[in-house]
Amino acid sequence: MIKLIGVEKYYGQMRVLAGINLEAQKGDFISIMGSSGSGKSTLLNLIGGMDRPERGKIIVDGEDISSYTDDQLTVYRRKRIGFIFQFFNLLPNITLFENIQLPLLLNGIEDANKVKEYIHYVGLEGKENAYPYQLSGGQQQRVAIARALMNDPDILLADEPTGSLDSQTGGIIMDLITTLAEKRRKTVILVTHDQSIAQYAHKIFRIKDGVIIS
Amino acid sequence: MKFFTLLKLLTLRNVKNEKFMTFLSVVGIALGIGLFIGVKVASDRAITSFESEIRGMNPGVNYEIFDISGIDFDEKIYGDVLRIEEESFPVIRVKGSLKNMQDSSVEINGIDLVKSIRYLNIPLDNAYGIEKISRDMNGVIVTEYFSDRYAMKRGDTFHVSLYDREYPLRIVGIIDSKLLAPDTVIMDIGNFQEYFNKIGYLTRIDLATDEKKADKIRQVLPYHLSLEEKHSLIRNQKAVIASFRYNLQFVSLIAILVGMFLLYNTIFITVIKRRTEIGILRSLGSDKKTIVMLFTIHGIILGFIGSLAGIILGQIFAYFSVIAVQKTVSAMYSAVSISDYFITPSDILRSLLLGIFVSFIASVIPSFEASKIRPHETSREGSFEGRYRKYLDLFTMLGIFFVLGGVCVSYFEYRNVPFSFPYLSYGGILMIIFGFTCVAPFHLILMLRTMKKPAQYVFGAIGKITLGDMNGSVYRFSIALMSVAITSALIIALLTLIFSFRGSLKKWIDNTITADVYIKPLSCTSNYCFQALSHEVIRTIGQFPEVAGVDKYRILQVELFGKKIITGFGDTALSRRLVKTRYFNMSNEDRLKELETGKSVAISEYLGMKYGLKRGDTIELKTPKGKQSFVVTDIFSSYSTTSGFMYLDRRWLKEYWGLDDATQFSIYMKKGYDVETFIRKLQETFSDKYSLDIMNNQQLRQKILRIFDRSFSITYAIELIAIFVSFIGVVNTLLVLVFEKKREISTLRYLGMSWKQIQDNLILSAGITGIAGIILGLIMGYMMSMIFIHVINKISFGWEIEIKVPLLYLSLVTVGLFFTNLLSSLIPSKIARKIDPKRFISFE
Repeated sequence: MIKLIGVEKYYGQMRVLAGINLEAQKGDFISIMGSSGSGKSTLLNLIGGMDRPERGKIIVDGEDISSYTDDQLTVYRRKRIGFIFQFFNLLPNITLFENIQLPLLLNGIEDANKVKEYIHYVGLEGKENAYPYQLSGGQQQRVAIARALMNDPDILLADEPTGSLDSQTGGIIMDLITTLAEKRRKTVILVTHDQSIAQYAHKIFRIKDGVIIS
Repeated sequence: MKFFTLLKLLTLRNVKNEKFMTFLSVVGIALGIGLFIGVKVASDRAITSFESEIRGMNPGVNYEIFDISGIDFDEKIYGDVLRIEEESFPVIRVKGSLKNMQDSSVEINGIDLVKSIRYLNIPLDNAYGIEKISRDMNGVIVTEYFSDRYAMKRGDTFHVSLYDREYPLRIVGIIDSKLLAPDTVIMDIGNFQEYFNKIGYLTRIDLATDEKKADKIRQVLPYHLSLEEKHSLIRNQKAVIASFRYNLQFVSLIAILVGMFLLYNTIFITVIKRRTEIGILRSLGSDKKTIVMLFTIHGIILGFIGSLAGIILGQIFAYFSVIAVQKTVSAMYSAVSISDYFITPSDILRSLLLGIFVSFIASVIPSFEASKIRPHETSREGSFEGRYRKYLDLFTMLGIFFVLGGVCVSYFEYRNVPFSFPYLSYGGILMIIFGFTCVAPFHLILMLRTMKKPAQYVFGAIGKITLGDMNGSVYRFSIALMSVAITSALIIALLTLIFSFRGSLKKWIDNTITADVYIKPLSCTSNYCFQALSHEVIRTIGQFPEVAGVDKYRILQVELFGKKIITGFGDTALSRRLVKTRYFNMSNEDRLKELETGKSVAISEYLGMKYGLKRGDTIELKTPKGKQSFVVTDIFSSYSTTSGFMYLDRRWLKEYWGLDDATQFSIYMKKGYDVETFIRKLQETFSDKYSLDIMNNQQLRQKILRIFDRSFSITYAIELIAIFVSFIGVVNTLLVLVFEKKREISTLRYLGMSWKQIQDNLILSAGITGIAGIILGLIMGYMMSMIFIHVINKISFGWEIEIKVPLLYLSLVTVGLFFTNLLSSLIPSKIARKIDPKRFISFE
């Protein structure tokens, strides 16, 4: 489903990714581990269509997204990708309900029932009208997960999703991601430097200095 | 020292780093201050010009003898005065204009040159052409300014329109003196009297004396001559143009207010942006006082820089203001020539203090808010605005209280007129503005609630996100909204005033300008002329077969309750006979008859209001034959002066003033004759010998309207600047929104929002701010226009104006303002485009 062939990425003179080859099938749960500055977030950004490689190809369901225009990448992200971030990145001035609803609205859809359904999945019934600053870190991340799944994306990209949470909450979040991904047959690519979190994946890849070493 | 280091690190560096924000705030303050200075310099210089005129050429003189009617008097009295006070200087004076330059003004002063040289101890070899003056009857000494301005040198001849003729004058000397008004031209008094056929006349006698001798002199003066201290005359003259000056100053003050909102916005948003920093400082042990001082000083620095820039701008504005003010003052009061438009050190100091004061006010509130930030707030975005919500009700109630208070205070002044200057109404307007500022957040929340469904229906996700953003940032958007509201209100109020005024003026013109041809001396550039036309002109005109009647009109100053009031003497019988529409807009033909036959006077509304006079009251007028009582038979509208006007029948002019001349004519033609042909005939008859301004009815009407339009030219400039400053205000708010929401914008990009959608978000924010601001501005503007028209104008100038709302213009301006608001989102959109989402979404 996702295929990276000889992907290279530079930031100025600095080479961040040096010929990445990676494959993931539909429903795979992959974890990419590496230390800070190893290029794992860059890899996520490339798969997520937030950037283009200097060399190589990124094939998603037979389409080479590395040659997409900016507008095409925007649509690609909107329809096929769900992002989960370390710092949640919820919009602070809209409610929990509206944050989750956002991807639908960006796609021109208004489906309150679907939003309620996902609020239920993540266990936040009764907090629909709360603002992010009124929620705990774990609760905010659950909102972010619900938001990421709203448009039924094929691919979930999680960048250190438990990095801002304590271990217990982190565990709860990982269970949630795993359950929902399995239930909905999502391809999950998770980036972390935490071994215990990486263990949730079916496959673990290690990246170092822009190269996958195992 | 430690505080200064802290200041350098946290405040100065921030000012340097946030270049664009700093620039916007500085520009806002600079424009407001610049405008204020420009207007102040122009009106100050006009007053200085009047002062120079009154002081004359001898710096030591402190008293003046003059005719109470403002005309020249018999010089026989000079001998009696000289016997009491040796240091007395006779002067004969006339104002005119240079040939073919009607906007130029010239003041010819005939003085006793020999006595002046002796008194001032001027060395004879430096006596500025004194020898040549004694030889050339038309020899004159001019100022250096005059010589530079008109590129003339010694030996050159120039032509001036004086009285009703044109005269050549030859420059025999040039004097450099700051004491003299720039348009001063000096002649020997004997030459003056002979050359201009004014033998035996003086305009005034200047004296350097004390109160004891002054009392003695008063004993010998005839009733029609008055002796007053120069500084008292200067004070009276200042009072005459005070209303004009302060009204202009107030309007420019509102421009500063808009700039103040801009600065408040900047500091407020800086506080929000830096709340993490503030929280860290507080957690490191910084006290609240330090936080307050850091942010207040930030604001003061911006205000100081803005004031400095404003001083430079003000110098540029002053040049244009001086031209506008000079023309208006010359038309409404008397011809004045302003040569100097440079800002003085005291103007600079005042502007700096004003700028610092305004910036202190603008920054002290957000600084106090900054000091209240608790460390934990840094991680919970939205809680800062949330705290303000608690006070929403209080602010709203306070706002309503101040708005109602402002209205009540103005209404009180309207009914009771407790002061001669509309202090309460000006205060009322400021209260209304303050009140609406407090109500603005509530108004915005109401607007957002109203717009929620339509915005989501029309704009979808963008609508939801935008309204959510604005709901979460009500207070910062309220400030931008108020910039728009004040600008809208100012424009609406001024436009309504101008249109209403123009409408009333047109009505007045229709009732007053009824003759076919008007003649006055070309030398007269003001609305009213004091120099009489020659008897030959009067006789000749009467002999033309085209003429049905000539209304010989005479203008004098007549004293009423100690003040000099411009008074017109006309032929009421002729008016009744020849004019179908009533002359003074009177509803009763009997009143005209009373004016014609009874011992009656008609007064303008200003006098009625100022002295509490009504029809049937008796007033005493000071005439050369003593005080005379007249009955007030009519109270009318008059827009040609700002300090009242009276009208009397001509027969009183002869009986009490011993005059039978005229300063201007209104000619009524017989039917069947062409006006233009007649005018050409008049010009052919008089052009050789006389210098006359001959206009037909339409030309005079257009001239009056031109003077009117010109007098408002400064207000148009103020409006334009206010629009620009409010535009900057909205740009400012949106820009900070973009800066603050980099992470959110990045998140939205990750979620699949296109750059165009993000731009739409900003445009919608600007649009909603604009609409909300304009709605508030409409309400405020309506209130302000009512106060301007019914109270301020009435008390300041005595002008009764019928309200006329220029719906088309207001609609155009409103739409224009709205689109300006939308445009203000372009710069923030461009800046937002440059955000690299990957940078702000996470930390490595």
